[in-house]
Amino acid sequence: MRSLSVQGVSKYFGNVKALDGVDLFVKPGELMVIMGPSGCGKTTLLLVILGALKPDKGSILLGDEDITNLPIEERNISYVPQDFGLFPHLNVYENIAFGLKVKGYPRSEIDKIVRSLLEIVGLEGLEKRKPRELSGGQKQRVALARALAIKPSLLLLDEPLSNIDEMTKSEVISNLKDLQRKIGVTTLCVMHNPEDAFKFGDRIAIMYSGKIMQCGEPEEILREPKNDIVKRLIAPMYILWNWNKS
Amino acid sequence: MSDKLEVAIKLMASAVIAYMFISILYLYVAVGEKWNLVLNALFDNRVHGAIVISVSSAFFVGFLAVVAAIPVAYILTYSNIRGKHILEMFLIDLPQTFPPVTEGLVYLLLFGRFGLAYTYVAVIIAKFYVSAPFTISFAARRFYEIKESGVDVIARSLGAKTSHILSRILLPMTFRDLIAGFSLTWARAMGELAATLIFAGAIPWVTETLPALIYLASRESPEVAIAASIITESLSIAALLSFRFIARKGE
Repeated sequence: MRSLSVQGVSKYFGNVKALDGVDLFVKPGELMVIMGPSGCGKTTLLLVILGALKPDKGSILLGDEDITNLPIEERNISYVPQDFGLFPHLNVYENIAFGLKVKGYPRSEIDKIVRSLLEIVGLEGLEKRKPRELSGGQKQRVALARALAIKPSLLLLDEPLSNIDEMTKSEVISNLKDLQRKIGVTTLCVMHNPEDAFKFGDRIAIMYSGKIMQCGEPEEILREPKNDIVKRLIAPMYILWNWNKS
Repeated sequence: MSDKLEVAIKLMASAVIAYMFISILYLYVAVGEKWNLVLNALFDNRVHGAIVISVSSAFFVGFLAVVAAIPVAYILTYSNIRGKHILEMFLIDLPQTFPPVTEGLVYLLLFGRFGLAYTYVAVIIAKFYVSAPFTISFAARRFYEIKESGVDVIARSLGAKTSHILSRILLPMTFRDLIAGFSLTWARAMGELAATLIFAGAIPWVTETLPALIYLASRESPEVAIAASIITESLSIAALLSFRFIARKGE
């Protein structure tokens, strides 16, 4: 398990400042949620940490290692995007085995890891199915299994609940949390819905206009929102929390 | 949509479809009672030579186009070079609109001094320029779509290097497009005349292609020209249908 440290990261797209000196620390094994409105820079931050975008300023450390200039393939960071990004030409088994194959694992070990992940995410029997033959929830589990197969130092999740219907959301949140705890992987997750974010994260980072406004445990943020912007962004949760308290 | 407008649209579409079909199929009707002459021409040694040169050179051009399309599409998709749109225009749009006769002249001046004029290689060079852009364009468009979907970034995050991205992501996901590009390139190469005629000439069993034979024979022995035309059309239709079938199978 490794920690993640984002230090003074800025990113410009032309004249637009997408990230404005972001500082963030995620403890080893922690599940941190970045919450903020659309366009606040959440996904940009994930892509910079992943290595798909280069920061204009600042640095990113995984444990003690500075990975700012390391190519994506050498970072050992797994990423599950909003649409899950499954390889459409590969079946479930091949999708999960992809990272292990390109890393040169022996076939028997690949099989052992893939079978155990299929069991963990409850997809046994669906190995031969192509992504187009899966439901949204099943796709997400394949994407998670694929991301976890390489034993990443850090797991990045972009809006993991966006393709999940309201009825099964709670179940998915609890399954994801259980899985994250069981595997013990340091996880950074992006969400726009405060209710989901506060249910899901060990700690929450509130992001607005390319900056981290406040970072802390859910209750800590609800107890003492740092400023009006934070209060506004967590409004439904804040009102409910104060109501229950009184 | 009003009914009158819909009828007008259907009529216009029918006219275009009829025009396209007549352009292709009238040849079989025009032969009329002269089927015997045409059948005799099918056994003409010169016709056989033109078939071999046309079909083989079109296949070579198709394969070369696929080989060339992969690195070109990769560069067009992933490099940050300036003026990429201009480069795209030069590689894809211009060759399809450039007068082939001019291009034949360019090759004659450029490669003639190296003894390449009027050789089989000249046939391939002349056909490649006008035909390869189909495959390049198909591959580039698909590579771009794959890049936009972000699966290449996910593959990299899982440890894939460029060789893995190419062999396990880009090429398998582009298979259908490469087959489609190959088939159009093949068909275009089969029909190419002007550049080939100027740069490679029309030497039977060396550089004489079916279109060159059709052009040269149309005045002296029309039955040979008609036979060669029927062969060209039939081969093109059969090949395009086969390529489509292969592409669907590979889906």
